[in-house]
Amino acid sequence: MSVRIASDIGGTFTDIVVVSEDGATFEIGKILTTPRRPDDAVIAGVGQVLDRLDPRPDIRNLVHGTTLFTNALIERKGAKTAMITTRGFRDAIEIGREHRYEIYDLRIKNPAPLAPRRLRFEVDERVLADGSVRKALDDDEVRALAQVLMAQGVEAVGVSLIHSYVNDAHERRIGEILAQEAPGITLSLSCDLVPELGEFARGSTVLANVYVKAIAETYLTRLRSRMTGELDCPAPLYILQSDGGLCEIAEAAQKPIRLVESGPAGGALAAAHYGALLGHPDVLAFDMGGTTAKACVIADGAPLIATEFEVDRQYQFKKNSGLPVKVPVIELIEIGTGGGSIARVDAMRRLQVGPDSAGSEPGPACYGLGGDDPTVTDAGAVLGYLDPDFFLGGLMALDLDRAKAAITDKVAKPLGLSLMEAAYGIHQLANESMASAARIHTIERGKNIASFPIFATGGAGPMHAFGVASILRCPRVIYPLGAGVMSALGFLTAPMSIGLSRSRPSQLDQMDWPEVAHVISEMQDEARAVLGRTIDPGDITFRVFADMRYVLQGTEVRVPVNLPSFDASQRDALMAAFETTYAEVYGHKMDAPAELISWRVIAEGPKPELNLKRETGRGAGEAVKGQRDIYLPAAKTMQPVPVYDRYKLAPGARLSGPAVIEERESTVVINGPARIDVDAYSNLIVGLGGTC
Amino acid sequence: MPIDQITLDILWARLIATTNDQAAALMRSSFTSIVRDAADLAAGVFDRRGRMIAQAVTGTPGHINSMATGMIHVLEKFPIDTLKPGDVIITNDPWFTASQLNDITITTPVFKNGRCIALFANCCHALDIGGRGLSADSRSVFEEGLQIPIMKLIDGGDRVEPIWTLIEKNVRTPREVLGDLHCQITGNEHGARQLLQFLDEFGLDDIEDLADEIVTRSEAAMRDRIRALPDGTYRYDLTVDGFDAPLTIKAAIIVAGDRLVVDYAGSPGPVPLGVNVTLNYTTAYTNYGVKCALAGDIPNNEGSFLPLTVTAPEGSLLNCTFPAAVGGRHLVGHFLPSAVMGALADALPDAVQAPGFDGLWDTHISGTDRDGRHFSYTWFSAGGAGAMAGKDGMSATAYPSGIAGVPAESIEALAPLVVRERSLRTDSGGPGQFRGGLGQVMEIEVLTDADYLFSGLYERTRHPAPGLHGGGAGQVGALRTNDESDLQPKISTMLSPNTITTLAMPGGGGYGPAHLRDPEHVLADVLDGYVSVESAARDYGVVIDEDSGRVDEAGTAALRAGMAGES
Repeated sequence: MSVRIASDIGGTFTDIVVVSEDGATFEIGKILTTPRRPDDAVIAGVGQVLDRLDPRPDIRNLVHGTTLFTNALIERKGAKTAMITTRGFRDAIEIGREHRYEIYDLRIKNPAPLAPRRLRFEVDERVLADGSVRKALDDDEVRALAQVLMAQGVEAVGVSLIHSYVNDAHERRIGEILAQEAPGITLSLSCDLVPELGEFARGSTVLANVYVKAIAETYLTRLRSRMTGELDCPAPLYILQSDGGLCEIAEAAQKPIRLVESGPAGGALAAAHYGALLGHPDVLAFDMGGTTAKACVIADGAPLIATEFEVDRQYQFKKNSGLPVKVPVIELIEIGTGGGSIARVDAMRRLQVGPDSAGSEPGPACYGLGGDDPTVTDAGAVLGYLDPDFFLGGLMALDLDRAKAAITDKVAKPLGLSLMEAAYGIHQLANESMASAARIHTIERGKNIASFPIFATGGAGPMHAFGVASILRCPRVIYPLGAGVMSALGFLTAPMSIGLSRSRPSQLDQMDWPEVAHVISEMQDEARAVLGRTIDPGDITFRVFADMRYVLQGTEVRVPVNLPSFDASQRDALMAAFETTYAEVYGHKMDAPAELISWRVIAEGPKPELNLKRETGRGAGEAVKGQRDIYLPAAKTMQPVPVYDRYKLAPGARLSGPAVIEERESTVVINGPARIDVDAYSNLIVGLGGTC
Repeated sequence: MPIDQITLDILWARLIATTNDQAAALMRSSFTSIVRDAADLAAGVFDRRGRMIAQAVTGTPGHINSMATGMIHVLEKFPIDTLKPGDVIITNDPWFTASQLNDITITTPVFKNGRCIALFANCCHALDIGGRGLSADSRSVFEEGLQIPIMKLIDGGDRVEPIWTLIEKNVRTPREVLGDLHCQITGNEHGARQLLQFLDEFGLDDIEDLADEIVTRSEAAMRDRIRALPDGTYRYDLTVDGFDAPLTIKAAIIVAGDRLVVDYAGSPGPVPLGVNVTLNYTTAYTNYGVKCALAGDIPNNEGSFLPLTVTAPEGSLLNCTFPAAVGGRHLVGHFLPSAVMGALADALPDAVQAPGFDGLWDTHISGTDRDGRHFSYTWFSAGGAGAMAGKDGMSATAYPSGIAGVPAESIEALAPLVVRERSLRTDSGGPGQFRGGLGQVMEIEVLTDADYLFSGLYERTRHPAPGLHGGGAGQVGALRTNDESDLQPKISTMLSPNTITTLAMPGGGGYGPAHLRDPEHVLADVLDGYVSVESAARDYGVVIDEDSGRVDEAGTAALRAGMAGES
């Protein structure tokens, strides 16, 4: 029986999951990430897990995801990067949106472009909006520029010319000339990466890509060769992209910017997988870690996908405060509430929690590493939700006295509260801010969150999910087993895929349909060529989308398009599809003409089957570790509740809240009445209010 | 019954979240893209006394703060206990809310146990309100469109049909405008539902105690901030181009203990154009400026406004009286935060920002394309913002307006225009220890065979944004054409098909003496082309050796010694 292996490099840990096709083998590994050479942890971790399996199974393929490139972008450790653009436009990526993302803070700054102004060069060429060439490119000018780039010691160049999404000839010619004249310089063309309208976002995307491209090439090539050389594992190695699809190494090395959100994408895929397994096509995936919480809406069995995200945000939770990157990505919100979030009293004598965080150094007061600000984790310890002797499975002891002192000095005394009142206040306010962020996120997408079960993961997620669900009136919470490796597990449900786009802005009534048919088939051909290297072209499914809006609106909706052909006879059908989508998102439609900005094709291979081991009934008796006093809000006191060992809770067991269920990386806290069932996959299914 | 601390914290957070939801529901469904995409709206909840208790953290300063003061007028017309479930109240009276007929405020009372316990209101920019269409050309408010006094739009659940019919007949885009009214009503209902839900959850019958706590605590926090300022009168004059003649805004900030008064006595009288400002809009942008400098972290509610008073002589430009024309009130109102900052510069040297370009550059071009089709296109662009202690001004970034710009590729895809250049304007930022933000240059060509109409509402083409604390002024804006056509700011002109226009937008003021700027920062600015070699020497006293790309230390020391002596 062959196995598939997933490895996920996170900020702290590198997670490994090995699953056999029948689900009988399910092994996980967790090893500290090695930031300097991230492949060290992958090779060591995979090696360790494989060593546990006897006999060593056949390996069908490996799936890998990494946040390595995000760090290079944030820490500005990428290549010395230049930009080439159309005459008159070298400042487009610096001028940006001309907009302040926060209206009361005068000290806001925009992130510096990845190519400084002195390294942004213009060439005297011009293409107009209809694709016609107004000023032809002069090859000699580009050759001369190549010499300048080399003389300046430039390592990478992003090329983004005005209207290259409709006519890419000049960009491609620049690419050819630079490849000849300056072969040592890494290159990305905007027409290859994001042929879409909008010089700021497109330019920013191509710069972000080329900035990390050399790092990606080096890293991925080395990982490939070490897999074969050191682990004797020549099986295909696939990379998870930010939209939850897989690609080959060669593709990943060309477009590394498509990979940067692979971790959250894996988590969302896992939530979708479990949701489908348990009969919930709609789920709110909720992940809470040390510094932030993330929420992602799974609708109809798949995570919502956005077409743009940001890196290097200057205000971590403020839209438009970062560098825009226009690639398909799982849509999630990030909330400034994590275990390390600091509690303080503000100018209105209000208790506030986050968004600033004590991080892991010095960390919460109870870590005893010098932090003296009270945090969400400190509150959890004081409330008895965390066992000071069993934090991270006992790897780290929590100093309860320091937690109490921090909360007493900085919250309880200033506000005239008891220690317990203050601690529970911190816990509750953390839940409130996560709940309200999640509620707004779903409202903006036209979803009703009160009907969504919550899928809780992350180190702190299981401690808070019950409280968050209570505020949101969600019907139930699902706590998967092995929440700590969920992202890697999600990788194993990802199909091979590629998402392509082309901007062809036009009013619907003036559309050049032959051109539309051409760009659609061009994208399909490109997808077949890329995916055909690994899967049977007959197995590829195509989905077509159109980004549309009413004429002169500012933002588009993404319309699923299911047309038998692309010709003028389909005009009304396309309009109807747009109106349907528009009404779903905005609640109404308008009697107005529509326009189309971009076409998108998503091509996917078959979704791999992920079988998880099912077990039935043993009961809960031997799983009780003992009792512990925890704070129960209804009683407003500490009271003893049973504490269970998650690993000994067998499928079929039924418990009732309040209760605490401990696993190595997290603690499930049920601080009110609830029905708790252990299902066949060892998930905890918690029904709120005592009903299920 | 007093509320315990944690319950108060939760309820307060819930109440703000509720108004955020109210705004999100409204923005999501609005028919008007400026509402959806630029958040040109305000949403909030008020108590029985008409005090604003919480407000959505979104929107533009003009709407946010002017709606806050409007509820008093609504309750004067309809006393709280005469309201019935199912009532909805409408108004666009510029003197009561956002100083422009396009801004429509919708108020919905909320009932619990048969008693009105709160009001939800939101103010939103309507796509059209009739009249001349949004412009500054009117001579009185009568020309600017339909005036809707405070009246019921829905009465006890029944639509008041005459007013709906009247609005429908008086606007150019009735479907969108009436549609948006529905969205505004829905947004309030959404907020009301959530408020009732959490009052039930916490076993509360009304929000009176909560409102008192919120107002008292916010007011106390604001008074603490004001008390920290030295008592005194702080003055500042800010001059802008104006229309026929320059306008000088005279701000006097009087700090006395825990009260702060901003008085605009001595500022210009009314102008016979649509740029007059009602006092509540003057107050809105003034309070916004005070808040930016003093209290960005204190939430917007009645309490945080109580210690602030804004006065201007009745009938003057900044406190215009009916029936003055007000459609373009932002053309003056946007300069008020800079006037406030200038006045507070000595009291709060580290918290204020030097004046910037402040007034958005609004360009409108219409004509006929080469296929004979009519086109009309409007967009906004930003110059440079002012610098502050420790921070250079932001280049080409709007302040105080919250409007965003448009990509050149969008402009060209939607109109027969060619943006030949869009770049930062070297040396346009005011010199200073911290440099003002740079303006931008846009060069526009029209693909047409016929004459076309060019109208721009442009400011600071004659009067630059001044610096603060020894910082230099930014460069003034300029208009140029390739054929010496006569192009004037604020005057519509027919131009010939071959005329190419260049808009050079103003830069922001600098902060602190330029000869104190770190020479390495001046060098970096020169290498990046933000500052020329000549300006580096002349304004900053920094000599750059162009061959080596380094600072000439000896030459710099000599130049700067002279400058320090002068200042």
